[in-house]
Amino acid sequence: MKIFYWLFLAFLMTASTSHAWSLFSADEEERYPGMGGDFTLRSAAGEVSLKDFRGKVVLIYFGYTSCPDVCPTSLGALSAALKKLSSSEMDQIQPLFISIDPVRDDLEKLREYAHYFHPKMIGMTGDLAYLQTLAKRYGAYFRKAEVENSSLGYAVDHSSTIYVVGKDGKLVDMIQHSGSPKRILEHIRGVLAY
Amino acid sequence: MFKRFLTSLALGLTLASPCFAGTAADDIQIIDPWAREVPPGLTTSAGFLGMKNTGDKEHKLVAAESANTGMVELHTHINDNGVMRMRPVENIAVAPGGTTTLQPGGLHLMLMMLKKPLKSGDKMAITLEFEDGSKKEIQAEVRHFGMEKMNRMKMGH
Repeated sequence: MKIFYWLFLAFLMTASTSHAWSLFSADEEERYPGMGGDFTLRSAAGEVSLKDFRGKVVLIYFGYTSCPDVCPTSLGALSAALKKLSSSEMDQIQPLFISIDPVRDDLEKLREYAHYFHPKMIGMTGDLAYLQTLAKRYGAYFRKAEVENSSLGYAVDHSSTIYVVGKDGKLVDMIQHSGSPKRILEHIRGVLAY
Repeated sequence: MFKRFLTSLALGLTLASPCFAGTAADDIQIIDPWAREVPPGLTTSAGFLGMKNTGDKEHKLVAAESANTGMVELHTHINDNGVMRMRPVENIAVAPGGTTTLQPGGLHLMLMMLKKPLKSGDKMAITLEFEDGSKKEIQAEVRHFGMEKMNRMKMGH
């Protein structure tokens, strides 16, 4: 009788393992099909490509330095989350800030801005047409909106998402606009453990 | 004659009563005003505060100004399916007995064309103007982004 019990248990374990395996591989292949991908942009320290960071988890935020509230809120929360990581966890992370406003954001300004939020964060930008295609590939949204009754003249309507690229260069997670360092930390640790 | 005296007395009291009722600036209590420190080289920031209305009628914040900025505007953010749309608002209402909070990601004072950089620990004087023309000066504490969370806890968020 006992042998049946063990056989049954063994069967359950095999079944659950193979089930977990199929889920895992499906995730890896098709989490965000057709999205993300490599790019090369300019930073104050020269050209930087996503490929340079294979083996690291890359956190990408699209924004612009004159963004008065949304970008500093998100980057501040990201920075607070990064400060909670151990140094060995941080060694596996590369944060990037991509400006979609190359006209106003020069490379030196971007370096200072990114550094302000985290010493490891790289500020980068490129040509407008290239940036638009890149933002679209990642699912980031930017649009100039005319605003009446404001000396702004126009505002930029934009998404505020942290894109998480896995160690293999594939887009694996998106953290929607959040002022919560705790939630960002959970996502980052989730990808590190993956 | 006596009746006339009474009428004018009543009229006089009615006219005088607004002085006793107090202005919007008297009714509104300011809670924890602060402004965000800006990264080097930038000239735009945002100011935040809570407004508690201790009076018995609605009040509205209609404008703000500061000697340290070229312009202050009242703005809000609308989160439209993950797309953040920032728009100016004409006024910010505070219901009688209620509190309206300006906080990151929502209503804020947009501090434009800053004349000098905001450094954490600095105080920034901002004058608020209400619907009845009354004004109130507040001292917003400049905070680094790392200090914002403290603020939220204090505000009970």
